[in-house]
Amino acid sequence: MPALLILIPLLAILALNLPWKSLMNRLAFWVGLALCLVQTGLALQPQSRFWHSPSLWLGNLLLFEPSVDHLSLVMFLAIGIVGAVTLFVCRYSTACAGNRFMVINVLILALTGMNGVVLANDLFSLYVFLEITAVASYILIAFEKGRDAFEGAFKYLILSAVATVMILAALALLMLTAGDLSFAAIQAAIASSPHSRVVLAAIALLMVGLFIKGGLVPFHGWLPDAYSAAPAAASVLLAGIVTKTTGIYTLIRLVTSVIGYNDTLQTLLLFVGAASMLIGALAALGQSDFKRMLAYSSISQVGYMVLGLGAGTVLGMVGAIFHLFNHAIFKSLLFVNAAAVEQQSGTRDMNRMGGLAEKMPVTGWTSVVAFLSTAGIPPLAGFWSKLIIIVALWEAGYTTYAALAVLASLLTLAYFLSMQRRVFFGKLAAGFESLKEGNLWILVPACVLALITIGIGVGIPWLFETFMLPIRSLL
Amino acid sequence: MNVRFLLVPILLPIVAGVLALLFRNRQGKACAWFCTAVTATQLAITASFFGQEWNLILPWGAFGWQFALKLTPFSNFILLAAAVFGFLICLYSAAFMNGKRFLNQYYGYFLFTLGLVNGAVLADNLIVLLFFWESLLLTLFGMIVIGHPGAFKTAVKACIISGVADLCLLVGIGMTIYLAGTMTISQIHLPVGGLNSVAFIFLMIGAMAKAGAMPFHSWIPDAAVDAPLPFMALLPGALDKLLGIYFLTRISLDIFVLTPLSWLSPLLMIIGSITILLAVMMALIQKDYKRLLSFHAISQVGYMILGIGTAVPVGIVGGLFHMINNVIYKSGLFLTGGAVEKQAGATDLAKLGGLGTRMPVTFLCFIILAASISGVPPFNGFFSKELVYDGALEAGRTWHVGWTFYAAALLGSFFTAASFLKLGHAAFLGKPNTDPAKVREAPMTMLIPMIIITALCILFGVWNALPLERLIQPILGEHRLEGHTFAGWPASMTLVILTVVVLVGAFLNHLWGAKRSGSGLGAADHIHYAPGLHPLYDRAERRLFDPYEIGLKITNGIARIAWGIDRGIDYLYDTAAVKITYALTNGIRKAHTGSLFAYLSWSLAGLILIIALILGGI
Repeated sequence: MPALLILIPLLAILALNLPWKSLMNRLAFWVGLALCLVQTGLALQPQSRFWHSPSLWLGNLLLFEPSVDHLSLVMFLAIGIVGAVTLFVCRYSTACAGNRFMVINVLILALTGMNGVVLANDLFSLYVFLEITAVASYILIAFEKGRDAFEGAFKYLILSAVATVMILAALALLMLTAGDLSFAAIQAAIASSPHSRVVLAAIALLMVGLFIKGGLVPFHGWLPDAYSAAPAAASVLLAGIVTKTTGIYTLIRLVTSVIGYNDTLQTLLLFVGAASMLIGALAALGQSDFKRMLAYSSISQVGYMVLGLGAGTVLGMVGAIFHLFNHAIFKSLLFVNAAAVEQQSGTRDMNRMGGLAEKMPVTGWTSVVAFLSTAGIPPLAGFWSKLIIIVALWEAGYTTYAALAVLASLLTLAYFLSMQRRVFFGKLAAGFESLKEGNLWILVPACVLALITIGIGVGIPWLFETFMLPIRSLL
Repeated sequence: MNVRFLLVPILLPIVAGVLALLFRNRQGKACAWFCTAVTATQLAITASFFGQEWNLILPWGAFGWQFALKLTPFSNFILLAAAVFGFLICLYSAAFMNGKRFLNQYYGYFLFTLGLVNGAVLADNLIVLLFFWESLLLTLFGMIVIGHPGAFKTAVKACIISGVADLCLLVGIGMTIYLAGTMTISQIHLPVGGLNSVAFIFLMIGAMAKAGAMPFHSWIPDAAVDAPLPFMALLPGALDKLLGIYFLTRISLDIFVLTPLSWLSPLLMIIGSITILLAVMMALIQKDYKRLLSFHAISQVGYMILGIGTAVPVGIVGGLFHMINNVIYKSGLFLTGGAVEKQAGATDLAKLGGLGTRMPVTFLCFIILAASISGVPPFNGFFSKELVYDGALEAGRTWHVGWTFYAAALLGSFFTAASFLKLGHAAFLGKPNTDPAKVREAPMTMLIPMIIITALCILFGVWNALPLERLIQPILGEHRLEGHTFAGWPASMTLVILTVVVLVGAFLNHLWGAKRSGSGLGAADHIHYAPGLHPLYDRAERRLFDPYEIGLKITNGIARIAWGIDRGIDYLYDTAAVKITYALTNGIRKAHTGSLFAYLSWSLAGLILIIALILGGI
């Protein structure tokens, strides 16, 4: 009955918009949280009947029969966790109950879209859910109606539209060849005519479309503006999970189950991955806006995932997915911290801050956990996923890319150390004497995410056996 | 007695040393008497070992290493000598060190040193030997550094020089273990030649440096000024000689089998001769009581090395006899120096003079000790030097210019005599420079050790059969001696006459020099300021020839180069890498103008390239 992951949120939105306004305003947060937590709980039980029983009457409303594997479970888990965190951040940063109600509605819509993306097993459904997620994202970014917010949303909109055009064109070309858009049919079509120019053009268009969605260099122009202009909750959701689901998960799914590896594709993935990793990291080094720096850091981390995927081995793919999950955790945590800092201090300009850890110890120290994990410092979660990616690259013979991955790790450490130094450590900057730590709505998710990062890092031997290796069934 | 008693000479001083460290500084007297009692016990125990031959093997550590100790006539002899001088110097210290700082540390290190030396001498396993030998570095450092606040530099110098030599010893021991296939000293008998010679040289460096031969000597004159005086009498005066020459003899006699025909034998003799001459020449021009003695502590080692290096029985017996004689008169001389320092308040010869009448016992001891070291019959130094001369001539017969070793040794005697005439004249005779009423004879606890030591000088001279036949000749064993005995009056009357001529020459030289300069202190000035020698002396006094200083300069040079390289690497990381990174960062920042048009064009360009790649690539 996995189809319920799409249908129940949809029904929840409908129910929330029933005419008991004040009650619904209060209920919205809890409904959303319940949805996220149930999803998280289910994802943690791969043996549950929920995943394996066929759809009943409600599930038949969908036009396709969803399929679930370990990769999907990891995604559901990440979506559930980041969704819950986003709700907390929303609760913390959006003061007006009416606005909050609307944000939560759109948020649940975005969750629906992402769940759909993960469940889809034909290209058209995939396209539809991508659009649902994208539309929800535009609204979330532009929600506070500032000039920057509109600019960010507009750039995202335009580039996403370009991506949509490309994906649709690819769909059309594949439809021409295969006559059907289900993954299996397309896979068969590609296998039967691997040198057909139409198929190749379709693959190229599809790739570029997904690269734009995932924000890979040189298709990343929209991403820094969108992430930094979005309201706190929206940027957590976007950076943590939306672009990773719509861009990277789809890329992994299509490359592994539909297109299949070949040398050219691997070269492309490795090159784009490395370029994103390095340029993202270098650009992050030059930022003084907290959230913009995190945005560039996201580009860089996405580069790692694509690099892992490009290695073309089971280990590389496991590393990519593992890093995707870890990234969802630690990048959400960093954006949560950024939200707390922005809300408490009123600024995102790192040059004006300093010594905030003195006043905001929890934020400061969870940020240390997050950035050390991002930079790949043992024994935190990020270390293991990066290690797996680098080992996979090395074993596959791509030693130069492995070396670049290590180098980018150094750059990551450099810009995060500079961030930590400028924002949290050192002497308290002038004007922050009366600064206070955020309230529990922001501290609880920060602590939970930090604990997850540490827990995964410490518990890696067990996790690797039970969660990571089963993913190999994909290949 | 139980074999395990062998552990007592090692453990007793070390445990007692720990206890000594527990004393408070104001309990100095108690600490001193406690240590004197310990050393007396030690002496009694080692004396009771006499005539025994024991083997003690205990399992130790991993790899099948054994803590093996072996009591042989030789180690017994060294053990006994160490115990005698440990006791005498400890007794002397009770008065001399009274009221000084860090007394508990002084006595603690004193006892540790005794225990460690005993351990090194008893060791029958190369690793055990190395352990005790290297541990001596700690007490060496400790005893110098407590001398006075400025002694730190000298302590470091002593520690580094000895450390370098000990490193050579370590290498030598490693090689020996590899070559012999065993660590048990008494089972190793390697012929010299090839790699074995290299191992021998490394071990030899360790042994000679411990004894204080050139070029590992340069810390001794500095320590003479900086360290507490009994330390000089104990370590460079006595224990270092015992241990270094003991080990040199062991490696020459049984660990390796040195023959007069191998090139190692002349090598040792050359080192010995050079050490004799250079050190005594330096001693001659010293103007400080202790510093002058310290150069003799170096010079006399030359005789021992020369003697052992001959590899003929008479030379080896002479070398060993000279070792024990040297320990006796050199520690005795240091003790007279200490008495002068304590009573007259100075050791600078320019400030001394006329002490002979005020300190008659000390003066008398000094005369006999100085006569011994100069080789005046019938004191002990005369007999051992004659044996060394004999050996040098016998070994030298093999080569064309073999007599030069003898000549060098004889010339050394001349300068030794000259420098002691100068020292005695300047300190004890002549016009008093200090208020004589203030200077009194040294206290009894200082006099007794001096008198005993002086008596030993006479005893070992007049009745030289006692040390030679009872102690030294058994070390070589009957198979080497072939029925010879070296006791009694020297065999060659010609050599004795030559020696006497040289001594008379030294006396006349002194009279002439003293008359020329008008004082005892200036008696050697005509040699000091002789044309040709003067600039050399000048440079030596400025330490231009000190291997340590030269080493320091080289090290500083290397350090400067390394620093430059380090700066370069730092520049690469800290400046160049950062600059390049930020140049890239700025370029990327400039490219991100925020213009949607730019971003769209990138995307389209990327699309075109990717389509070209995918369509073209397959």
